[in-house]
Amino acid sequence: MKQFTFILLLCLATGTALAQNDYTKSLEGIEWVRIESKADITVRTHSKNELLIKVGSSVATPDRAKGLKLVGEGGTDNTDVGFYVVQDGNNLIVKSLRKSEDAEIFLPATQNFSVKSTWHGDIEIEGFTSEIEANAQLNGGIVIREVTGPITANALNGEIEVQFKTVKQDSPISIYTTNGEVDVSLPQGTPADLFLSSLNGEIYTNFDLKRPDKDGLKSISTRRVTGSINNGGVSIKLKSTNGNIYLRKK
Amino acid sequence: MDENHIVALLPDYLDDALGQEERAQLEGHLATCAACAKELEEMKVLFEAFGQEKGATPPERIKTNFYKLLELEKQADAKVIPLNTPATEKRNWTKDLLRVAASIVLLLGAFLFGQQQQQTQSNKEIALLQDERQEIKETAMLSLMENKSASKRIQGVNYIEEFTDPDEAIVLALIDRMRYDANTNVRLTAVDALGRFTASENVKNAFIAALKTEKDPSIQITIIQVLVKIQEKKAVKPMQELLEREDTQPFIKEQIKTLLPSIV
Repeated sequence: MKQFTFILLLCLATGTALAQNDYTKSLEGIEWVRIESKADITVRTHSKNELLIKVGSSVATPDRAKGLKLVGEGGTDNTDVGFYVVQDGNNLIVKSLRKSEDAEIFLPATQNFSVKSTWHGDIEIEGFTSEIEANAQLNGGIVIREVTGPITANALNGEIEVQFKTVKQDSPISIYTTNGEVDVSLPQGTPADLFLSSLNGEIYTNFDLKRPDKDGLKSISTRRVTGSINNGGVSIKLKSTNGNIYLRKK
Repeated sequence: MDENHIVALLPDYLDDALGQEERAQLEGHLATCAACAKELEEMKVLFEAFGQEKGATPPERIKTNFYKLLELEKQADAKVIPLNTPATEKRNWTKDLLRVAASIVLLLGAFLFGQQQQQTQSNKEIALLQDERQEIKETAMLSLMENKSASKRIQGVNYIEEFTDPDEAIVLALIDRMRYDANTNVRLTAVDALGRFTASENVKNAFIAALKTEKDPSIQITIIQVLVKIQEKKAVKPMQELLEREDTQPFIKEQIKTLLPSIV
């Protein structure tokens, strides 16, 4: 019996400890969620209409910080998970204040959001049908998977990889990097107007645009390629200054 | 009988308008002269062709108008004095033909004139419509560029492809996008779009000013290339300054070093 109580207590304690690593906020009336972070950010879907922030269990607040609040560039921790969350009109601003701890953020699949990584944080996004803006301003890369919606993504030194599930909407998709590579997979039947351009890099695709091979993908040797696939449709612009561009059939 | 004279008589002969004497003479000549007989045959064919030619049927409206006028004319001028025309008087065949030709020319002329008028009118209407559409497009473009969604703003910027000669207001709105949009993709799209309108002083000046302020290397390089392409001398100094600056990416310095000599 003693042992059972002990286990029960242990469970409760762990439960509370885990709960402290989560933060939720309703998304009622929120049109855009604006996420900003220096560290890695992963954004996934869940079925509730709320924002859920899960911080890695390794996050340890130093003993000395007890009774003190974490203060960062963006504001003061008002979530107890190292984030500053504030509503601004119908925007919800979500800023990570820590410089190196990763976080997972959960949103409903139809929620529009933007993610900005200001230092070397990587951005990973999966499973949304909404509009997404991703911006890795310095060294981070961007990976976006299983999405349908309008995407604008740009990175300076990191690379951008985007896998589209289907592209049914007609709002433009714009992806560009300065030094990293751009790697985009599209379902074969996507009706689109393509604009691919790389100043110093190469362009490879297995959609119907020709030139020499690299791993079964064809290189188009000019700096700029435009063309439509499946009779044209949504405007897709992939651009890099120094990196290669890969456009694949999925 | 003089041959020229014979040929001149042929139409009347075919019209059966010759006197007994002339007719006999002519037939006599034709029997001996192959050239004139041939002439007659050819003329016959021509006459038959004229006969077979269907006259244009005027539309119902004109017909009724015409008959109405004719009726009025008849009533107003009921007493017709017949002209004394002896049965033997020759019908002047060439004169008739000329009259017919003149009326055909007149008719055709009127028709072409009408068509021309209609064409000009519809051209005007199309131009007006295009004007209206241009205005609608401009409004659509300006409002899209203010949209909350970055993708919609890009769509708004892309609308510029619909204009060959956009209003300066549109160009200024694009310059605003390039300078102030919160989303870098929108800014880059605006720079790409503006690259087509370097004839505008506003665009040139905005690009030159951006050389000093722009931090995104992809946008910097796009602007540098456009300015070099149009041989903009005023861009030389800010480009040299970029070479001096520490925060300029090395590949941009490389580009400037390669491109600068082609301006100066």
